[in-house]
Amino acid sequence: MELRAVLTTCPYCGVGCNFIFEVLDGKIINTMAAKTGPSNAGSLCIKGWSVHEFIQHKDRLTKPLIRRDGVFKEATWDEAYDYAASELLRLKDTYGPESVAFVGSARCPNEETYIFQKFARAAFGHNHVDHCARLCHAPTVAGLAVSFGSGAMTNSFAELEHANCILVIGSNTTVSHPIAAKRLMKAQANGAKLMVADPRKTQIAQLADLHVQQNLGTDVALINGLMHVIYKNGWHNRAFIEERTENFPALAEMIEQFPPERVSQITGVSVPDIEKMAAWYAKSQDSAIVYVLGITQHTTGVDNVKSLANLAMLCGHIGRPSTGVNPIRGQNNVQGACDMGCLPNAFPGYQYVNVPENVAKFEKAWNAKLSGTPGLTMVEQVEAVHEGKVKGLVVFGANPVVSYPNANRVQKGLEALEFLLVLDIFPTPTTALAHVVLPGASFAETCGTFASSERRVQLVREAIPPIPGKYNWEIIPELSTRVGYPMKYASAAEIFDEMASLTPAYGGMSFPRLEAEGLCWPCPTPNHPGTKYLHKDKFTRGLGLFQAIDFRPPAEAPDDDYPFWLTTGQIFSHYLTGTMTRRCPTLHHENPEVFVEINPQDAARLEIEAGEKIRASSRRGTIEVKARITETVKPGVVFIPMHFLENAANRLTNAALDPITKTPEYKVCAINLAKAA
Amino acid sequence: MSDQEFEPKILGFFCNWCTYAGADLAGVSRLQYPSNIRVIRVMCSGTVSPHHVLKAFQKGADGVLIGGCHIGDCHYLRGNYMTIKRVRFLQDLLKFTGFEPGRLHLEWISAAEGPKFAQTVRDFTEKIRKMGPARLKSARAA
Amino acid sequence: MDKLRAKVRTLLSEGQVAGYLGYLIKDSHPLPHLFTPENLEEVDQAVVAPDNARYPLDKLLIPLAERYPEAAFAIQVRGCDERGLNELYKWGQLDPEKVVPVGVACTQEQADYCECPGPWASVVDYGEKCQPVAKSLRVEQVATLAEEDAFQEWLGAFKRCIKCYGCRDVCPMCFCKDCSLEHEDLMSTGQLPPDSIFQLVRAIHMAGRCIDCGLCEETCPAGIPLRVLYKKANALVKDLFDYETGSPTAGPSPWKMLGEEATLETKPM
Repeated sequence: MELRAVLTTCPYCGVGCNFIFEVLDGKIINTMAAKTGPSNAGSLCIKGWSVHEFIQHKDRLTKPLIRRDGVFKEATWDEAYDYAASELLRLKDTYGPESVAFVGSARCPNEETYIFQKFARAAFGHNHVDHCARLCHAPTVAGLAVSFGSGAMTNSFAELEHANCILVIGSNTTVSHPIAAKRLMKAQANGAKLMVADPRKTQIAQLADLHVQQNLGTDVALINGLMHVIYKNGWHNRAFIEERTENFPALAEMIEQFPPERVSQITGVSVPDIEKMAAWYAKSQDSAIVYVLGITQHTTGVDNVKSLANLAMLCGHIGRPSTGVNPIRGQNNVQGACDMGCLPNAFPGYQYVNVPENVAKFEKAWNAKLSGTPGLTMVEQVEAVHEGKVKGLVVFGANPVVSYPNANRVQKGLEALEFLLVLDIFPTPTTALAHVVLPGASFAETCGTFASSERRVQLVREAIPPIPGKYNWEIIPELSTRVGYPMKYASAAEIFDEMASLTPAYGGMSFPRLEAEGLCWPCPTPNHPGTKYLHKDKFTRGLGLFQAIDFRPPAEAPDDDYPFWLTTGQIFSHYLTGTMTRRCPTLHHENPEVFVEINPQDAARLEIEAGEKIRASSRRGTIEVKARITETVKPGVVFIPMHFLENAANRLTNAALDPITKTPEYKVCAINLAKAA
Repeated sequence: MSDQEFEPKILGFFCNWCTYAGADLAGVSRLQYPSNIRVIRVMCSGTVSPHHVLKAFQKGADGVLIGGCHIGDCHYLRGNYMTIKRVRFLQDLLKFTGFEPGRLHLEWISAAEGPKFAQTVRDFTEKIRKMGPARLKSARAA
Repeated sequence: MDKLRAKVRTLLSEGQVAGYLGYLIKDSHPLPHLFTPENLEEVDQAVVAPDNARYPLDKLLIPLAERYPEAAFAIQVRGCDERGLNELYKWGQLDPEKVVPVGVACTQEQADYCECPGPWASVVDYGEKCQPVAKSLRVEQVATLAEEDAFQEWLGAFKRCIKCYGCRDVCPMCFCKDCSLEHEDLMSTGQLPPDSIFQLVRAIHMAGRCIDCGLCEETCPAGIPLRVLYKKANALVKDLFDYETGSPTAGPSPWKMLGEEATLETKPM
């Protein structure tokens, strides 16, 4: 007889909620919000409360699979390791080490990701390792790193409750980060003004004191317009600009060209609303900015992020509690995966590969020859497959066939690979294309750490033993050893300690120190208390850098053939590609199938009725969706959620990329709608 | 919408044995009553869950009229004991939350009370007409 | 704490119970824990749940008792938890013969915060009895609002609902396998906020069942004053049917039986 309460950290979004698994005689029977969790304080969203529903699901992969002649056969671990290692070595010998690329995960604990990128870099001597941050917040990392010197959420969740004004832009907060929305609602109850800029009338937009519906892809113009009004009225913070920033004249010159009338024309937001937003943001004591993928998933993603950084610096709303620029990360450990160096341009701790001292440091630590040339990003990897340069791909806890843009092209690419190795916990469209499938242990079956959006590194604790019989942190070293780079660890804690010794921001952390509330990085020394908010007296880079950003329209706009603007995103009961959430009965009940949100005017014009099946097509593909007629979207704009692989919105989306981070423009493309034949 | 144009939507839950038969009698007796009411026949008024009533309001009903047998006449002996408990409780809960308890009415109408049936529907429709569209409906449209 | 620990130790070592469901500081957090005779030494670490870390132990006991129907269990209860046990006995979810309460009296501060009319268990193994709070000022305050104002207040709160179902999932009284809130014909799905009647439907189910532990309100990310709603629902059950929710002597719930006579009359139109 054993009933245990196991405290752990949520595997979904980046808010980092803590909950308790109730484990009765080896079975996880329930999930309970942890009262003492620092970021959730006793709350969870629907996905969190239902998380136990997928862990011991009958569909879990439990045995390694090898595909020969198109048929998957169960294999022993040794057979799978041997076959995978021989294939990887064959490719390495035949085409060179650069023919094998690596895709990591933003879902797995830091320890697993750390050794995954170490495996790629040390065993293959290149930097072709990336993960899905590329698809979401790479512009955040790149943009804020240039403006401030650090690409992370500047403040912490609890502080938001005490802000006087919050600008939420491109974030469907109650859906994608529900427990962050709790803080926004609390702030509002405390008297804060809540402003939401979103092309859709989302729940948080309906709750806001002011909601503006900017046209898709016009964020730079809107933010420049706000800054124009602030500067013209003298509401900017002169002392802050003087002491803490540089390059202000260039910004001043740029925003001069964005008077509210012009901005109104571009964005569709009225002049009085622009003026009101500017006044509220600039004149409140403590104003915070919260944004998510509505800002980053554009060809102007980095520009959008830099513009928000400009706005915060212009008013000096940064470097203090309850202010800042706060990107909320979409995945439990996307912050951590970036921190761990699962990026083609950086070793752990953002120690860039093109700095020779960094290469030398890691060569010494890992006892391997490393490359100083940045590697291929995720979407570039797919292109390299099409060009025949990449022949093998190692995918660790990711589902590119559904999550990448232009899914049809991704699928063709993966089909063309000579060798595809995929580790996952469930069968996915990506595992279906693999030559070897390794069954992974879920977060409930391992110890380790996740780094949440607020840079809080928290423990994940083992509730039940690994269902496939092995920890993921045992699998990677085994593979690595067999391809010629020996690795061995006795525990996740040992991996963490090695990583922390090489990653300055994690330098003072250890498992025992993380037990109570975790620690927010930077935490460089063993007695450092961690850092609640960044850039206190000085930006990480020294002075904050203003950058003049001009407005560029999105890559694709509606025309006669494809007359609708499509934007994509999440819905409250599902998560990303739905591999986990669609297996939870509670979540499936809410949203069993894909739909399109369409304005009543458009529906009437096309004679589409609620619930009717219609065809949505773009230049890249066609899917069938059910019509949901709603005022949430403006006429001419439609929304399709991304979660449903059988009718994946990403068969429609455009793989046009941000020029700097190569992040795809998921949030804007042109489509056509027609009644299904 | 101005008051003149407002036509209330009223949902009726009537028990098979008494009120529904009373409605039939009103019909065959050619008694006039407004056509605003849509009727759902249930085997006993005691089967009407408060959830059904709330769902009706959610879907845009301006009024809900429940009709059952007089106490003591229930075909199932005491089914309507539950009806009165539920309705009285729900009316008070609706009052507390401002969800317009007056839009829910319970009337005992027997199979022989055709005129009472017609009069109840007339009175209730007029009452709801005077109240105007349900608050919940207006709030949703806003 | 010594008294509580001694009682638990006796219960376990003498075999009167197979386990004690209480709290332990684990991983630096106060967490629910099942103490068993096999690990008797753990009892030295047993604690009373801090006010800010109460969990629905009654709810945990249900699957445990279901799995071990022959075994008896001791369980830490505050006044509310014990009211919960009494209701769960009535609804056939637990067997009173198989449950031994280990009672806690709440602090005055906690009782005031909860506006609790019964802030201690029938046996007190920890804490001192404080002054109960007879009337809920929060309920009275809402009751003074004009109907239209009350409507706007509640609707405003309901619109913040993110449909996490936390109010249900944390509730020690929510034991149904099929939930009305997920009834496919009666509650719409797939959108935020949910139907405006969502919380009212739940309030109906809470009437005569809510033991006023307040965990729902504490977990609600939207800050909906659920406790006020359910306190009122219980007060109505008391007024209309003279049913005292959670009392061991109150007899069956008014919703569980038709009754020997109809005591209420229809309201005039």
